[in-house]
Amino acid sequence: MRMGIQSWFDERFGISAIMEFLRKKTVPQHKHTIWYYTGSSILFFFVVQVITGFMLAFYYKPTLEEANKSVARIMTEVPLGWIIRSVHFWSASFMIALVFIHLIGIWLVKSYRKPRELTWMSGVFLLIVTLLFGFTGYLLPWDDLSLSATKVGTDIPRSIPVIGAWVTQFLRGGEDVTGDTLSRFFSFHICILPIFVLLIIAIHIYLIQKQGMSLPLAAEIKEEKVREIPFWPNFVYREMIVWLILGGVLFSLAVFFPPSLDKQADLMAPAPQGIKPEWYFLFLFQTLKIFPAKILFVSGVSVAALLIALAGILFFFLPFIDNRPSGKKGKILTLFAYTLIAYAVAMTAWSLWR
Amino acid sequence: MKFRMKRKFSIKKKFLVWLLFLGFFFLLFFTQSQFGQEAKPAEQSKALKPEKTPEKIIPSPSNIKEATGIYVFLAWMWLSIIVLIYFLRLKIKEVDRLHRMGYFSEKKK
Repeated sequence: MRMGIQSWFDERFGISAIMEFLRKKTVPQHKHTIWYYTGSSILFFFVVQVITGFMLAFYYKPTLEEANKSVARIMTEVPLGWIIRSVHFWSASFMIALVFIHLIGIWLVKSYRKPRELTWMSGVFLLIVTLLFGFTGYLLPWDDLSLSATKVGTDIPRSIPVIGAWVTQFLRGGEDVTGDTLSRFFSFHICILPIFVLLIIAIHIYLIQKQGMSLPLAAEIKEEKVREIPFWPNFVYREMIVWLILGGVLFSLAVFFPPSLDKQADLMAPAPQGIKPEWYFLFLFQTLKIFPAKILFVSGVSVAALLIALAGILFFFLPFIDNRPSGKKGKILTLFAYTLIAYAVAMTAWSLWR
Repeated sequence: MKFRMKRKFSIKKKFLVWLLFLGFFFLLFFTQSQFGQEAKPAEQSKALKPEKTPEKIIPSPSNIKEATGIYVFLAWMWLSIIVLIYFLRLKIKEVDRLHRMGYFSEKKK
């Protein structure tokens, strides 16, 4: 009976062909294998985000009057609503942290080099979209802090010459942050960005399948044979252990440290003291703050915004800057990666403890 | 006999017993107040609600029943995770052994 149903589905879906492909696909086993788990962990958190996001969307109302009240209702009246929101909040943080770790790891082991340039670029796109998810989601509770942070965040592009003012107006849906901004951010958060992220994930996974998993530099230089294990079931079982631990940590953090909700935002009220974005934007926020108001005759924020944009472009085109054969070590770029990590950590710490 | 009793209940143990007693006492007090809130009729609880939204909402379990449920679930969840990891490690050992034996490549042929 079971075999009959299995073969019925197999004839239509070709499941055995997929399983055969997964069994043939191999994963290298070496001391850097830990980086391979970050990719699937990001997917795990993305799935958690989608599920909890659906649950929250059942009750959330993206209007000026109802947004804050509906979140308060989720937290106080909906059964276990506060845990669902907390899991969504923590899962977003985990996902963004892992995207950063994944990209830095790839940078350190130089896996972006030929023929994996497009895999790297799609990964950077994923980072941008994930950060946009965080940025748009931050406004949705419509409390004092989220409104002020969004005002600051959407004002930054204004300092970019030529297109800056248009970008700010496009993000806000007008001159100021209003109810239109809220509905615009909600549409971005639940419709436009998910389509983009699914598309980029599909391209990213296809490219990984096409180019295969990269080997560590040491193995490539020595051209030594690295032990390989089948993706299914050997590697998937290992991944399952990681997912179980991450899931447990996620749920525990969600229970013990749930995010709070401030009072409803007042558009006419002055900005509260100590506005800060989420932790993943803090290093950029602090970078903007350390620049003086004026540098010669140009605004300091404009210079900082341009420098950040330039750094982003260089980061995106990294495989073309370091286009040497895959065997070369690239010590300067490794040092640069460590400097960047140290800078981001220091700036975040500075912003947190100010 | 007296000497033995003294040894049985050392200062450390007495302190622990008192601590447990006080813990249970406060837990009971907390439970009573929480159940009291839960038992309130719907109309009354609605009437008690403030008109304005509160300044800041710090989420937590709404009553002791929910809190207990969540903590018991957490304990079971971690226990299940540990057991599942144990079984997965056994499975990994097994599939790695099969892979070394060339079982999967033979199966392909």
